[in-house]
Amino acid sequence: MYQKIVLVGNLGREPEMRYTPDGTPVTSFSIATNEKWAGREGEQQERTTWWRITAWRRLAETCNQYLSKGSQVLVEGRMNPDPETGGPRVFTRNDGTAGASYEVTALTVKFLGGRGEGAAFGAPRDEDVPPEGEMDEDAIPF
Amino acid sequence: MYQKIYLAGNLGRDPELRYTPNGTSVSSFSVATNEQWTDQSGQLQRRTTWWQVKVWGKQAERVSELLSKGSQVFIEGRMDPDPATGGPRVWTGSDGRARASFEIVAQRVRFIGRRASAASFGEPRDEDIPPEAFLDAAY
Repeated sequence: MYQKIVLVGNLGREPEMRYTPDGTPVTSFSIATNEKWAGREGEQQERTTWWRITAWRRLAETCNQYLSKGSQVLVEGRMNPDPETGGPRVFTRNDGTAGASYEVTALTVKFLGGRGEGAAFGAPRDEDVPPEGEMDEDAIPF
Repeated sequence: MYQKIYLAGNLGRDPELRYTPNGTSVSSFSVATNEQWTDQSGQLQRRTTWWQVKVWGKQAERVSELLSKGSQVFIEGRMDPDPATGGPRVWTGSDGRARASFEIVAQRVRFIGRRASAASFGEPRDEDIPPEAFLDAAY
């Protein structure tokens, strides 16, 4: 019984770091993953998926320090569902309509580069790579 | 730019096989993944996530043939979002409440348990496990 999500995408906004009442750092950011494929008649199709990522503790601090809007990252994590439904959390937007999101708790975040450096993905030079943030899965409090 | 989802869980219902107007087969089923962990205060926590899975093409028929409610499967796939929002599709249930689900398109389905044996889920003994059935989707 297992679930794992692996994403490579770009940050859609600046990361936000907050602290829980007991002082644990939590950083949130959103990333977009774009996929392109050829349709039946050869026409190019494109799809964007948005993910809300949450990182905790030391990983929260490294994400907040090194990432910014446009950064390209690899995120490995777990879907964090609404405990009541086992599905996405549903919320009400400012305009009164219902929305839902993919909320992922990050276990690993690797920093791949900034906007426009997409070509470097996969083989970043060592000196471009800041220290990795990694975290023990069992340490996550939910 | 990449997204991939790996699941190991049990079918919550029998697969439903349907055909698109042009004859392409598609099989739909739900999978529950249960996770357990110990929180900081030493308490055992559990969480269930439900996934709505679709398998396309000729593998859809094999899935419908081999899998049933309770079957344990390993799935490799990707999230299928609402194209308008990039997030989960939201709809209104019969009770008037907004609902959403994790919709996955499976690229590969691997049968990892004993057929139609929900009771053996979890810790099957080695001798209970039949040869694995590969259901590589033609994706």
